[in-house]
Formats: sequence, C-alpha cells, structure tokens
Amino acid sequence: MIITAPFQNSDPRLRAVGIVISLGLLVLLAALWNVQVLRAAHYGDRDQAQSLRRIRIPSARGDIVDRNGIVLANNRRSFDIVMYLEQLPRPSKRQDVGRIASETLAAINEALGTAVTLADRDVRVHYDQRRPLPLTVMRDVSTNTVAAFVEKVNELPGADLIVTPVRQYPHGSLAAHVLGYVGKPQKASDDAEEDLERFYYYQPDTVGEQGVERAYDEFLHGAPGGKTIRVGPRGSTVGIIGEKPAMRGNSVILTLDMHIQQLVEKALGHVALPAGKELRGAAVVLDPRTGEVLAMASRPTFDPNIFNPAVPARIVNAVLNDKDHSPMLNRAIGARYAPGSTFKTVTLLAGLQAGVIRPHDTIVCQGSLRIGNWPRPFNCWNKHGHGALDMMGAMRQSCEVWFYQRGMAVGVDRIAAMAMEFGLGQPTGIDLGHDLAGLVPTPEWKRQHTGERWWDGDTAQMATGQSFLLVTPLQMATVAATFANGGTVLQPFVVKRIESPTGETLRETQATVRRRLDSPPQDIELVRQAMEEAVQAVDGTAHRAAVKGINVAGKTGTAEADTAHGRIKRVWFIGFAPYEQPQVAVAVLIEDANSGGHTAAPVAGEILAGIFGKRIVATEDLGLYAD
Amino acid sequence: MDWWLFATIVALMVISVCFIYSASYRGPGQPMPHYYRMQMIWFGIGLAVYLVAALVDYRVVCQWAPVWYTMAIGALVLVLVAGTKVYGARRWLGWGSFGIQPSEIAKLAVILAVSYYLFHRPPETRRQWRTVAAVLALTGLPLALIVVQPDLGSAMVLVPICLTLMFAAGVRVKHLAVVVAIGLALAPLGWMQLKDYQKARLTVFMNPNKDPLGAGWNLNQSLIAVGSGGFTGKGYLRGTQNLLGYLPRTVAPNDFLFSVIAEETGFVGGLCVVGLYAILFLRVLRIAGEARDRLGSLLATGVVVMLFFHVFINIGMTIGLMPIKGLPLPLLSHGGSFVLATMTALGLVQSVWIYRRVY
Repeated sequence: MIITAPFQNSDPRLRAVGIVISLGLLVLLAALWNVQVLRAAHYGDRDQAQSLRRIRIPSARGDIVDRNGIVLANNRRSFDIVMYLEQLPRPSKRQDVGRIASETLAAINEALGTAVTLADRDVRVHYDQRRPLPLTVMRDVSTNTVAAFVEKVNELPGADLIVTPVRQYPHGSLAAHVLGYVGKPQKASDDAEEDLERFYYYQPDTVGEQGVERAYDEFLHGAPGGKTIRVGPRGSTVGIIGEKPAMRGNSVILTLDMHIQQLVEKALGHVALPAGKELRGAAVVLDPRTGEVLAMASRPTFDPNIFNPAVPARIVNAVLNDKDHSPMLNRAIGARYAPGSTFKTVTLLAGLQAGVIRPHDTIVCQGSLRIGNWPRPFNCWNKHGHGALDMMGAMRQSCEVWFYQRGMAVGVDRIAAMAMEFGLGQPTGIDLGHDLAGLVPTPEWKRQHTGERWWDGDTAQMATGQSFLLVTPLQMATVAATFANGGTVLQPFVVKRIESPTGETLRETQATVRRRLDSPPQDIELVRQAMEEAVQAVDGTAHRAAVKGINVAGKTGTAEADTAHGRIKRVWFIGFAPYEQPQVAVAVLIEDANSGGHTAAPVAGEILAGIFGKRIVATEDLGLYAD
Repeated sequence: MDWWLFATIVALMVISVCFIYSASYRGPGQPMPHYYRMQMIWFGIGLAVYLVAALVDYRVVCQWAPVWYTMAIGALVLVLVAGTKVYGARRWLGWGSFGIQPSEIAKLAVILAVSYYLFHRPPETRRQWRTVAAVLALTGLPLALIVVQPDLGSAMVLVPICLTLMFAAGVRVKHLAVVVAIGLALAPLGWMQLKDYQKARLTVFMNPNKDPLGAGWNLNQSLIAVGSGGFTGKGYLRGTQNLLGYLPRTVAPNDFLFSVIAEETGFVGGLCVVGLYAILFLRVLRIAGEARDRLGSLLATGVVVMLFFHVFINIGMTIGLMPIKGLPLPLLSHGGSFVLATMTALGLVQSVWIYRRVY
C-alpha cells in the first residue's frame, strides 16, 4: 500500500517517525476542522463585518398640497459639489489626507472662482469614518456654478456633483405655521438608534419640526433605502453588493384652500396699525359644516425655506430664538387671549337656554354700573351710555352694562358650563399639535389659584369675556362655526387626505362631531340673528365686516390685557357667512390695536368679500365708537 | 522510479501555480503580478534538478557531503557580509534580480552531512556521547549562522532534522532526552535575546486579538480567510479576504498561500493538500525503510522531517496553532530557493529508491 508501507517497516525507529508525522498531520486536520467547520459561522460573520458596509439612503419627503392640489411643500433638487476621498490620489500617510483634499479643493476653487475651505479635522474624520460617502464641499450651488463645474470635472479627480432633495415651500411664508418646516434630527430617536446599528454609514432623513411637517412626519418621511457595499482593508469601496432604493413619502392633502389662505394673508397685511407697532395676531377660516380649516395664518411669520443646510446657522438661529417677536409661534392655536365681547354670544345663549334672558329684557345703560361695594364703577365702552336697550340692541351695540346685569342673573355656573359646551377650556383637538386648552374660570378655580372668593363682579366681567377667561383664535373660530351650523361643535382639522406615491388613498379624515349643544334651536337662532344684526345694521359694531350681496353675521370684541408692554387691547372678530346657509366661519385676532370694530372686523370683511367674490360695504366713518 | 512520489509532487506543483495565480489575482481586467509564471519557471528548473539528482547515485553525492557542507557554511558567512537586507534581515545572496537564500541550501547540507557522518561511524559508537556531540556541532554551526541573520524559522528546522537523524541512526533515547532537556532549559536565555517584534510574532498566536491591527493582523485575517471558507470554500478566484487584500498581498502567495487555498476551496481543499503531503511523507518514509544502506535511509528520513516541519509550522500558523514563522509550504509557496532545495532533496530520495537494489 502506498500509505501503510512505512508502518510495516521492520525498523521500529522509522515506524515511530512515521507515526509521529501521521499524528502531526491529523492534528492539523483536526484544527482545520475546528476553524473551517465548527467555527465557520463565526469567521464568516467576521469576514462580512469587516468587509461589508451598509449605507442608509435617505428618502424624499412627500408633497403637501392644498385641497385643490396646489403644491405648498415639495422637494427641489439641490446641486452639491462633493469630494470622494477614496478616489483622491492615495495618501501614503493618514496625515496627508487633509493636504491632498485641500489640493483638490484648491483646484475646485480655481475652476469655479470660489473660496471654500474645509477644516483639516473634518476631512480626516470623514476619511476615517465615512470614506465611501461623499464629503460635501459646496451645497446648493447656482446653475452657473454647475455649468462651470461640469466643464472642468475631468480635471478634478475625486470631485463630483450630486443631487440631493431639499424641502421647498414655493409660496414662501404662506401658511408657514400650518405647514411647519424640516430640519436635521437633533437627537437620535429610538428608531434612528436601531438604524445606527444596522447601518454602518448613517445618513439621516430630515425631520418635520412644526405644523403638518411634524404632525404627519410618519406619513411624509417615506422609507429609507439601503446600499450594501464591499470595502477593502483601507475602507475604500470595491464593489456594490446590493441596493434598495428609498421609498418616497406620502402626499398630504390639506383642507386649506390656497385661494382663501392668500386672502387671509393679504387681509392681515392690510391691518392699519399705529406707526411703530408690529402686527401680531392670527386669523382662522373654518368650514362650519365639516370643521375643515380653510385658512390659518399667524403674524409675525417666517419663511420655512430658510431651514435648509445651505443657509448659515446664524440666520436660522436668529429666527428660531427671536424672543421679542416669536415668529415661530402659531398664535392661532398656541397663544391664549381674553375673548372680550365675542364671548357675549356664549353668555347670551346660556341665558336664553336657562330662561333668564328673554329677547325683550330692556335695560337702560348709563355708561357704567356699580356692583356690590366695589369702589369703582364697571364701565361700558360707551361712557355716555346706550340708553334703553333690548337684547338685539345690546348685541348690536355690544353694550357692557346690559351684559353685566343679565350676566349676573345668568350666573357663573351657567356661563362656564355653556363655555365648556362650546369646547372652550379644552384643546380643540386639531391635528397640528401644540393646541392650547385656554381657561374657563369657575369659583372653585379662583379659590384654588388666587385664594380669593368669586363675587358678582367676576361674573359680570366673565359675561363680557374678560375676567380670567382665555381662549385661542381657533377656539373662537369653532364657536363661530358652532353658531353657523346651528349648534354642532366640530373638531377642526387641516389634513383632508393622505395619498401614497402611487395615488392610493391611505387615510381620509371625516368630520368629527365633538358635541351637539343642548340649547333649543330657537335660542341658537336668536343669537345668530343678533350676530347678523351686529354686522348688517348700519349702527352695528361689526358693520365693517359687512359684504355687499351676502348676509354676514358676527361679533366684535375688545379685551384689555395687562402685559409687559403695558395695558393693551386684544381685538377680535368672529363670524360666519352667508347667514342663511353658512359656508365659512371666521375668527380674527390682533394682539394690540384700538377696537374690534375698527381693526378686526375689516379684516374679516375683506376675507369674506374675497371668498364670495363680492365687495365690502363702504367703511366710511359712521361716527360710532365701535367695540 | 517511485511514480507515486513523482505524481504527488506534480499534483502539488499544479495546485501551487493555480493558487499563486489566485493569490495575486485582483479582479477581472486588473493588472496583477506574475508570480505564478516565475513559479512555473522555478518548477521547470526544479524538475530538471530533480531528474539529475534522481539519476545520479546518492552515494556519489554523499561522498561529497563535506564539500557541500563547507560550501553551505561559506555561503552563510558570505550572506552575513554581503547579503541583501530585506526587512532588516540579511537572508539573500543576490546577483542582479536573481537571489537565493543560503539557509535553504544549508538545510540540505546539514541533512547530507549528518547522514554521511552517522553512516560512517561504526554502529557501536552511535551509542556514545561523542557521536551526539559531533552531530550537535555539525548542526550548531549553520544554526548559529542562520540565527544571526536573523531567520529564526529556518534555524529551528535544523533542530528536528538533527534529533530525528540521531534517533533513526540508533542514538540512545536517553542521550536524546538529555539533549532536549538541556535545550529546553536554555530556551529562556534565548528568549531574552529576541527582539520585541520576534517575541510578538512568537506569542501572538496565543491571543490574536491582543493587537489586531499590528502583530495580530496577518493571523486574524488568515483565520478569517480559512474560517469563512467553510466546508467547501468560496470558489476559485472568489476568496474575498485574499481578493480585497485583507490577507496582505505581500504574504498571500508565499507564507500564507494555504490561507488562500483554504478560503477558496474550504475544508475539502485543505484535506486534499494535507492528504497529498501525507502521501508524500509516507512514500519518502517507505523509501527510507527500503533503502539499500543506512545512508540512504537517513537521507530520506532527514528530508521527510524537514518537509514535515515546514508543513506543520506553516499550516499551523495559518490557523493559529503555531507561532508566525516565515517558513514556506513545500512545493506550494512561491519562492525559488526553497523550490530548488525541495526538489533537490526529493531527487536524492528518488535516487535512494532507484539505487535501492543491491546487485
């Protein structure tokens, strides 16, 4: 036998040598079996771990469009000039990377006439940790620069032009507070941390930071793709193993009507303010039949396009941290104000429902009223007094004294209960987040928070929308909508539908009824009539909201508030139109102005005239003081 | 002619050329170094040397053993004086681009010298200390000269050759045990003389992850290559560890060629290689047993020990069983001197077979 021959050898010492050698080879085989068969999986994993890299490819966000399909937010292409460090002439030492990169950068600068610099440290960190990824040199360059670069690209080894999606808002600051904006994630979420483990090279998505962008981020952001590459021992790419494209995000169709939104933005721009005063306020237009938000604007505003990696952080932070103006604050849902006389609509309905107020209750207003032992009289806005007024007159003229007296008769409990019925003191539930609850005070609340007892004066003030009452403009818009539709409290919403990239409807928002008022229809109708008179009557305080050709109903309000800037007036208008079959409900708030009638009502008038294609009633000075 | 032996040699040569090609392959269309062509040339020369050595009576060659030995010592001295420095060690004697390693010749010279010496001693003297001392001296001189190059791996090969030849020649086991015991006792002294990089290479196999980017790199990458090859391997020219250069390209075609084979052909391929070596060794041992005289027997034994030691250390090194020593794999690793030395040695063994009959 070819193998066994030595073992049959007569020389025992040669046989011993043969046995030792055979045993040695068996040891090798056993060790080989151990490494290649028993531990094959372990070494296979290590092989992959050191040579395979997964790169996460961020997805493009879905579009946001208005109810008619007009694009309010989409992605444009940003041309970025990048360097692939692994394609640069191979550095012999790690320290040389910065030098070689800056030589290439100098060549790019010369070719394009730019003067971009990169920190040596950033280049080296990128080289060590993210080598297969492009290192961005210039973001969002102009088309001229792109043309110049393309011409010279062959002389610039390692440099390349890549296209990245950048969020854009074609209409600038239009509806900025509803749309929100996007940014880089500040802190890795749980999800991202999980991803970090799965992906060796992590490229984050942008994240919605406010408004619809944030509230509907999960629908908008799409699904990231991935790419598996094989790298050599120096970390350079040697091949692509597999690629899964990123999935584009879903489209979000808003309830907003671009046309109405533009009207609102324009009308707010027409507000006449004393010199040196900056416009702060909000306006909301709802569809009273569904709760759809047709328009929502807040002032001051911002341009969401600045939240773009190409814009210097200095400029972005100046806007984000502007404490004086708070341009990022959506005052329609995120700020609370006393409702003033617009709240009289609620007081009135509470009184009518309780039978305490009857349409023919007549009170003589002498310009002020003394309540209890309070040293100072409670004033009406008309110091000269309105004289004798019935209910309609009191609403038309917005008489304080009438409502002090009748309000005390109705009582704080009934007024508070009615306010809660309308959804005041609770978030409206709008799908935007950051929706404030406001405050409906009760004697119990006052005792707990101020330690003082509730008295008639508090009730009188609450009846006229002062006292401790706090509401958001959106809440008052839902009050207007509730009167408009005859007593149904709807939950406002801004997203009508969500569509997949293939056009399939993923979700459609249905109108949500929060409550139906208990009040008898005829009582609600009385308040509606009173609101119509306040606008339609020539001497109505809300007459500046009147529009030719349709019947507008509404109520103005002026609430005094003590702020850091002194005592200022919050002025309001809430209303709806057409009176007979309302299609829109409006709320307008200006933080610091003269009166609801003079400042807020004309804004609403302009909006409504625009919506219905009519002209506003001439607003020549009628010689009236308006509340 | 022992055709089994010859066929085994040719099989190993074919494997060698195929996998040296694979070890220098960089991907389709990529330029690659032509190590495999050089290896084919060396094999051609080696086969010629083999035939000459096989046909010449080994007894004639052994007559000249003192001359070969003296020439080898001379070459070892020369390399220390005029050798080319590679990686800080003088191992090469070169004329232009042609270079040889005298240490490879020395291994063969020692086998011839020790066999010749033991053969000419009367049988009774082989049981005396004098013989042991003489053989140790014969081995010790070239060993010392190789150690100072320094080339620890090649020097160490001389130790089992010398011990096994004495054992096979009938030297008392007790004497050999004493020699081994003294050697072990002196080992710590030798350890202290080692340079840090040598110590690191000698110990890293016990914990390859201690310095994974430095001394442990080659071993780690070799382990990953061999282990990820699995049972059947990744396929010819598809060993990613080798292809991508994780297994350093400077060592893949020579010292770590077995890793390339094991990665691409898996345990099956490794088994074949070890199997071929088993056939080779056992055929040579059979020749040792059937030789006409003790000279031929010792010669074959010396050759088999030398080759086995190379195989065991080299394969053991690639799978973390043995320290990292630059010992090439006989007939597989790229490198001219060792191919020639191996082919000469195997030619002599073939000669022992051819001239085994006493006419």
